[in-house]
Amino acid sequence: MSLTLLLEKYDVSTEDGLQKALSEIEKEECEVNESLSNALSRACTLEGRLRTASQAYCKLGEVRNDAQVAADMVEKTALLARDVSAKVRQLDLARSRVAECQRRVHDLIDLRVCSAGVDAAIRAHDYETAAGHVARFLSMEPGSVAAARARGAPDPRRDMDAAANTLRDHLVRKFEEASKKEDEAAIERLFKLFPQIGRAEEGVDLLSKYLASQLEVSIRRAATVSELRGDAAVFADSLTRVLECGAAAVERARRLLASAAAPPAQSAHVLLPRAVAVIQPTICAGVRRVCQEMMAARKLVLTDKADPLSVEHALGELALAHSRLQLYFGFLRRRAEVESNMDEAAKSACSEAIENLILGCDATRTAQDVLSHYLTLERYYLEESVNKALKLSAAAGSCSLVDDVFFIARKVIRRSISTGSVDGACAVLNEAGAALERCGAALRRRLAAPPPEPLPFPPPGARPPAAREPGAAPYLQLVGEAAAGAEWAERLAGEACRDAEALCRSERARAKLRSCAAGLGAAAAAFRAAHELALGALRAALAPSAHQWADALVDPDPDSEELDEEANALPAALEALAEEARAAVPHSADALLGGVLAELLARAERTMLRSAYSRAGGLALERRARRLAAWAGGGAPAARERAGALCAAAALLAVERLAHAPDALPPRAPLSPAAARDVLARRTDFKLEDIKRLKL
Amino acid sequence: MEDYKFLFKVVLVGNAGVGKTCLVRRFTQGLFPPGQGATIGVDFMIKTVEVDGEKVKLQIWDTAGQERFRSITQSYYRSAHALILVYDISCQPTFDCLPDWLREIEEYANNKVLRILVGNKTDREDREIPRHIGEDFAQRHGMYFLETSAKEAENVERLFMEIAVELMEQAKCKELPKYDGSLGPINGKTSSVGDGSCCLR
Repeated sequence: MSLTLLLEKYDVSTEDGLQKALSEIEKEECEVNESLSNALSRACTLEGRLRTASQAYCKLGEVRNDAQVAADMVEKTALLARDVSAKVRQLDLARSRVAECQRRVHDLIDLRVCSAGVDAAIRAHDYETAAGHVARFLSMEPGSVAAARARGAPDPRRDMDAAANTLRDHLVRKFEEASKKEDEAAIERLFKLFPQIGRAEEGVDLLSKYLASQLEVSIRRAATVSELRGDAAVFADSLTRVLECGAAAVERARRLLASAAAPPAQSAHVLLPRAVAVIQPTICAGVRRVCQEMMAARKLVLTDKADPLSVEHALGELALAHSRLQLYFGFLRRRAEVESNMDEAAKSACSEAIENLILGCDATRTAQDVLSHYLTLERYYLEESVNKALKLSAAAGSCSLVDDVFFIARKVIRRSISTGSVDGACAVLNEAGAALERCGAALRRRLAAPPPEPLPFPPPGARPPAAREPGAAPYLQLVGEAAAGAEWAERLAGEACRDAEALCRSERARAKLRSCAAGLGAAAAAFRAAHELALGALRAALAPSAHQWADALVDPDPDSEELDEEANALPAALEALAEEARAAVPHSADALLGGVLAELLARAERTMLRSAYSRAGGLALERRARRLAAWAGGGAPAARERAGALCAAAALLAVERLAHAPDALPPRAPLSPAAARDVLARRTDFKLEDIKRLKL
Repeated sequence: MEDYKFLFKVVLVGNAGVGKTCLVRRFTQGLFPPGQGATIGVDFMIKTVEVDGEKVKLQIWDTAGQERFRSITQSYYRSAHALILVYDISCQPTFDCLPDWLREIEEYANNKVLRILVGNKTDREDREIPRHIGEDFAQRHGMYFLETSAKEAENVERLFMEIAVELMEQAKCKELPKYDGSLGPINGKTSSVGDGSCCLR
């Protein structure tokens, strides 16, 4: 506090004021003294710190100098390293040049050795060494050879080419000699040398030619059918032997090709098809020979039309022969796949080449001829067998028509699948569909005219006939067959699709097969139509009796004393009918009963609404309707509701007083109020006005 | 359930090399593949077309013309709705064989089958069978007639479309043989469809 402020604050004119100011000044002085001594006491520490700081500064300077030195050194080292690496690069280059030079030197040395050695080796009949020399020459860099020439050495290529040609000639000659002598070991040894002298194709051709000539002999032996026995598949067996010989030859060629020193990769996929192409014609010739003999021996003898069974053996043999041919083609296709030292592209190229070979070869055409022959015979067999079954069934009234026809159809379809050809299976499916449709139509014609009393359903009061209608049982059996036929046709189609699935090599083939199998659906429709027709005819035959029963059911005159027995008569008659129907036509009994009962109930309802009832008559009707509804509940579920409606109507007709009518209706009665009023109006003792007033 | 109302089977027959496969390829894929190999057995293609706003699925069976496939191809005649008999207008022998083909059709096909005679390869300069000869033949045997070029895509679409129209009209008149269970619901009324008979001119 400054003096002026002090002077302002205190009144210094008075003693008291002066005293106060003084004490204030003194207090302040004390404070100042205290802070001064505080400051003085800190000066020591500050001095110490200052000292330390100045020392540290000196050290930092030293460090800085050291760092500078280090940085300089690193820079120098980097420079040095750069120099070193450049030198290393140079060294590397030099080394690789040296390596190249060395290789060239080796090449040149080898070249000299080769050109000298190949002639010597040929002269010494050491073809392995000679081929080794040529292989060495072929693997040399062209640069080396050129370099050799540039240095004034005599052109080694001409010599080597000449040597290679000589070697090739020698090898070919030796191979042919070995072939003549059938010296297998020598042949295999010589074959392996061809890829080495860069003539793999030529080797393959020679080998294949040799194998083909070998094959010709074995095929001639295999193709000879010594005795023509009718009961054995001699031709199919012979064909199998021929194909086995062929397959063995192809497999041998493949194995030799695989074991020979690896030919240049780009030609590997060409060699196998090339070998097959040379061998295949021999196989084709053998196949054609056997198949022609087979087709001549197994042809249809038209005079022998009596029994289709006579061609069955031939059919089996033709199917077997065709499947053998397919098997052989499958074998050829797989040869490309088992080849392991090919990449994917080469494999697919090889597969394609093999596929083209198969498509173009004569054995394929022979197989087509065999299939055509088979299909012609199969059609004859199917048609004649079905005709025979139809004739038998019509003549004897025997009832295994559908059994027989489906047995035949299944047999021919299975046999066609066993040929291994989708087209064959499709064609037979088409034919089988036609035959089954024909059978369905025949069944329909026979079912159109039922016997007068196919099922026992005597009208009320009549005794059941002692003897059954003679035509009834066969007719009913035919009805059952028609129902079974539809089911079997569909099952057969599914079965055929499943069985032939393995033959399909493409999605299109599968679709084709499915479409042809679906053709059996048309046959199923024919059977179903026949069945429907028969059910209609049966209902029509039962209708007169049903009508009489309907009239009796709603008869308004309660004349009989034996009410109980009378009420049970219809259920009893229906039960008898149901039993007969279930025994005779198990699949269609329910539909038939439902139909008959529906017709009966409809007529009963119509008649009821035209009659007039007393209470007694209503009671009798109610009793009969209740029994019938009870029977329908168990016996003919399809007509239960209809019977319930009649029962409810009858209950209305049986009420004592009109006022009881609402209670007489069961809950959820299948009768509308309007219908209920119509029914009540049939009671003679109820007044129309009362009925109208009635709350339902 | 696939999305179509009618399914018709159309079968092409005729000598080898008259261009059956090319007609089918042109129609179904819009291609004309030259250097086609001979068909083996039977090939089959599907194309769905629209007639009067209704989907019609055509199942086209392309048969091999060579004799040794006859027993396979014959089995397809019976279920065919339409048979296209093809000859090559630049090759007299293919025309001369037509009566043989007709005999085969009589023997194996349904007698109500729709039959169309087609002279193919109109793009060729060396025509051997004049148009009116083909027309006369077709008229004599109650067949529709059309000349096409699969190469130039001439009349190919029209051929198949008119078959579809005609077959649909027949189906609507319930004239189709009843064996076809695969047909959709048929409404009884006959609707007049396009110029179904223009094939004849």
